[in-house]
Amino acid sequence: MFTPTRRDTLALGAGALITSLIGPGGVAQAAVGDTLTIAFNVNLPAFDPTVGPSAVNPSIQAIYRSVFDQFVGQKPNLAFEPGLLTAWGWSDDKKKVWMDVREGVTWHDGSPFTPEDVVWSLERAADPKTGNPITFVWSELSNFKIDGKRVTADAKQYDPVLFKWMAFLTGYVLPKAYYTKVGAEGFEKKPIGTGPYMVDEYQGNAFLRLKANPKYWGGKPAFQTVVFKFVTDATSRVAEIESGSSDLTLEIPYEEFDRLKKKKGLTGVATPITDIGMIFINSDDAKTLTKDVRLAANLAIDKQAIVKRLLRGYGVPLATLEAPEYEAFDPSIKVVHDPKKAAALMKAAGYSPEKPLKTKIQTTRGLKPKDYEMIQAIVGMWRKIGLDAEIEVYEVAKHFQLRTSHKLAPFAFYNWGNAIGDPTTSTGFAMFGPSPHSSWKSKDVDAMIGPLWGETDEKKRIAGWKAVSKYVAEQGDVIGLLQYAQPVVYKSELKVIPNISGALQPTLVSKKA
Amino acid sequence: MADSATIIATTGAPSRGRRRLQALARQPKVVWGGGFILFLVVVALAAPLIAPHDPLAQDLMSGTLPPLGFADYDPGFLLGTDDLGRDVLSRLIYGTRIALTVAFVAATLAALVGTLLGLLAGYFRGVTDTVVSRLIEIWMAFPPVLLSILVVAIMGSGVTSVIAAIAIIDWTRFARVVRAETMAQAQGDYVTAARTLGFGRWTILFREILPNVAPVLLALITLEMGIAVIVEAILSFVGLSVSSDTPTWGGMIAQGRQIIYQAWWVFAAPLAALFATVLAFNQLGDGLRRALDPVMQR
Amino acid sequence: MRVIAAVLAKRIGMAIVTLFGVAVVVFLLLRVAPGDPVAMMIGAGASAADVAELRARYGLDQPLLVQFGIWLAGVLRGDFGVSISLHRDVLELLSERLPATLELATAACAVAVGLGGAIAIAGTLVRGRKAEAAVDGVNGLMLAVPDFVWALAFVLVLGVLWPVLPLSGRMDPSVGVPFVSHFYLIESLLRGRFAIAGDIVAHMVMPVLALALPLAAVIVRILKEALSEAMMQDYVLVARVKGFSESRLVIGEALRNAVGPTLALTGVQFTFLIGGTVIVERIFAYPGIGAMAIDAVINRDLPLIQGLVLVFGALFILVNLAVDLGAVALNPRLRHGG
Repeated sequence: MFTPTRRDTLALGAGALITSLIGPGGVAQAAVGDTLTIAFNVNLPAFDPTVGPSAVNPSIQAIYRSVFDQFVGQKPNLAFEPGLLTAWGWSDDKKKVWMDVREGVTWHDGSPFTPEDVVWSLERAADPKTGNPITFVWSELSNFKIDGKRVTADAKQYDPVLFKWMAFLTGYVLPKAYYTKVGAEGFEKKPIGTGPYMVDEYQGNAFLRLKANPKYWGGKPAFQTVVFKFVTDATSRVAEIESGSSDLTLEIPYEEFDRLKKKKGLTGVATPITDIGMIFINSDDAKTLTKDVRLAANLAIDKQAIVKRLLRGYGVPLATLEAPEYEAFDPSIKVVHDPKKAAALMKAAGYSPEKPLKTKIQTTRGLKPKDYEMIQAIVGMWRKIGLDAEIEVYEVAKHFQLRTSHKLAPFAFYNWGNAIGDPTTSTGFAMFGPSPHSSWKSKDVDAMIGPLWGETDEKKRIAGWKAVSKYVAEQGDVIGLLQYAQPVVYKSELKVIPNISGALQPTLVSKKA
Repeated sequence: MADSATIIATTGAPSRGRRRLQALARQPKVVWGGGFILFLVVVALAAPLIAPHDPLAQDLMSGTLPPLGFADYDPGFLLGTDDLGRDVLSRLIYGTRIALTVAFVAATLAALVGTLLGLLAGYFRGVTDTVVSRLIEIWMAFPPVLLSILVVAIMGSGVTSVIAAIAIIDWTRFARVVRAETMAQAQGDYVTAARTLGFGRWTILFREILPNVAPVLLALITLEMGIAVIVEAILSFVGLSVSSDTPTWGGMIAQGRQIIYQAWWVFAAPLAALFATVLAFNQLGDGLRRALDPVMQR
Repeated sequence: MRVIAAVLAKRIGMAIVTLFGVAVVVFLLLRVAPGDPVAMMIGAGASAADVAELRARYGLDQPLLVQFGIWLAGVLRGDFGVSISLHRDVLELLSERLPATLELATAACAVAVGLGGAIAIAGTLVRGRKAEAAVDGVNGLMLAVPDFVWALAFVLVLGVLWPVLPLSGRMDPSVGVPFVSHFYLIESLLRGRFAIAGDIVAHMVMPVLALALPLAAVIVRILKEALSEAMMQDYVLVARVKGFSESRLVIGEALRNAVGPTLALTGVQFTFLIGGTVIVERIFAYPGIGAMAIDAVINRDLPLIQGLVLVFGALFILVNLAVDLGAVALNPRLRHGG
């Protein structure tokens, strides 16, 4: 890369000199002790887990879940479990909800946690003025009543997913008394929760140091101290774990994952998580993107090859927006790679590689590993069947704006997370016309989805969503690509339980016995 | 984006030298730097003829093949392939086009705007100078990297945005130098003589002063081209440059960085090209200045 | 002194105009930028009314001129608004992050001046010999290496292959030190906490070198040329006749006269460094304003970007003012106007 010059030797010498001056304590090389150091892939912008863009960032939930508790807990296999609520449910007439609040829990400042906190948190979440992005769910509840440890509330309509949201984005309980006393900015400076770890020190863009909450209701955590270092550059994260400065890191290139896990003293795990790579199709372009063209675009993509070669096998090819861990996953729906059929469909529509259909595809770059490379590969495959797509890179901010104003390009790649695995939060919001998050808006699909939102019979509900997935796949209204795997590399003396939701909570890490 | 170009181009006494081809040919820096740039221009123009493969042709099954001289080398791919199985050499060759386009167009645009404002401010002084100087100062008070990221974020990624970002940010560099140079030239005897002969203000400005400012300008433009190549790479690095699968060096560096341990050549080849090109532009600019500057020829 | 006061008064007046211009430009630029901060915040299923309410909350529904007026009035009161993505007071955020970048940029500048100065002097001492050509050649190569390439090289060499230096951050996160200011390095030195200062320095070595090396190359170039020219001046020739040694000629006589333009350049470069640490800060996860700036642009955090740009503008003006005043104070010719 560069030939060592006199200057380089000088620089190397200076480095060595300084190291010798500060001694071995300057670099963390020691084995994992009471401190767990994580080289984390995103920066923590703000502590309030219920407002702003960071509230809907799936990765950051790992930190939020350390400091705060959700109303309802979620195991790493996505199953729900009691959180700060020990039991919950709908009244028989489906017009009211009831929740039992856990007793004997204290906030990090020692004050007792009460049902008041739960009610206040729910009411606050429903107030759009706070900037909670999920108010449309929380505003379904009103008229809260507290009776001992039980909280009841009236529901606007029956929502089969309501309690799942309590384990999902912005479903956190915050301290009423403390928050009202210190205000939003005061809370950011010194946040408290009921979670397994307490905030010890925080430096934005640098690190967050947590210390164990000895009085945690779920038992004392394994590490006395947990440090999240915010290292947003993937290559720098690789260097962090390789040099021994960090004990664990995640979301690194798959090639590096393969290399590092073979290294002595390191090991790794890469499990599929609830993040899906998918391509939106814009219904405004239905004139040129006819059913045949859409299906051809679907069939031309060799998802197997992309997963195998580009992602080194870490990923699961998908036919729909439902991954195997999701409730409405239907293995019988298949979209088989068939370039010949795709070319024939395009030819029938009047296009060929010599006379291609010109279109555009938008993609993120570096948001997920290999996203940009993947789209380049897909465009290459499309080119062979007579679909010539120009690539445009956008940032997430722009994607959101284009999506909510229904101005996405004919094809738009995005990464759709769905930690609760419910079909409403995947196929539902992505395909339902009135939702601001759909790009394909059509009456036929809406007619199928409409009745499912309030369906009280769970079996019928799931079957209904499976039918939607099948129909959408047959029509080629969206392109489901693959389910991502999350690479995690860590020191061999650690034990890590991977979380399918992708939230790598420190409580899932322990020392090997 | 260091401001080195301005400084390098303006060090030494103000030049009044005329073009001297002989002097140019005597400068090894001009010969080598200019020669390499000329070579790049030929490569860029002849890309379809000399590139062994289609730079976009991919084959996922033959990804990350190593270059000549390594085990598993495939004779068809002299510099190996990237992770999509595309030929690195062909991409490098086609990348020359973007690099040179950005370099030439961005530097010329920045020079046009900057020179015009600099000439006006330096010659007419008074209100014009005050306005231009204020504008320059306001512009320079912006953090350049942040501003370029903002410009690309506003215009969307693409060659045009990169060029616009460079021109929007770097015109001050030309304006400052040309303004100072014009002020110095306007004091010259030949300007006074032209005025006595009854030449108009614009004639004097563009016929008499501009040619005398040209040598410094030429050196500055050349150096700016080197900067433009780096800026394109930086923006690619942050993920904001050209976005289609058109090969660019910066994009290749960013892509290769992720697989540096598995396929270092994807990273090293464009980096070497980038380095050589910036070096050539720097040397050429420096050589031009020396050759065209009488003070330097002592 | 009176001249300096007059220069100062004039400069402050101009600074206000410049800052106002910066404020106008950044405000307009951000309002035409696509990417709506509110669109980032709303989740699946939000209604148009929710969006409108959020927009109103951040004052984004007001006419442009009104928005600008509100913001400017706030800034004049020292209220830069609240960051949309970080939920914190913008001024407070800046006062936390700016010191980190200032320490980094100052250190890089000092290293560059020291290194560049030493090499330029050495190169002048050996002028005419092969060694000079070598210095020039290497320096020419160095001028073509941008800072992010140095950063990548350092991560590879000093971070991974020979891991002697910490790779990321500003200090060891396990050290709990109650700092009063945000100038950690300065404060730890002043309070005599040398172990902590050492740790902070170790964290700074790689980013500082990555920033300093390209700047050092520029300084070598300028200073060496100025020195060569000074060496041909009469007073140096006279000193030579008097039998001064070569090193005394260069360091004692020529340097004094050649240092002016180099210092002016360093002043300009210093401000560029403060605004140019973005990529290096990102690679080394260094918590300065650069790291915050990228996030701010990506999240379309308008108040934060505005604050960042304005503070940078103010710094730029301050540094330039200091350089100019220094030049006036040092140069007797300038002191009498002109």
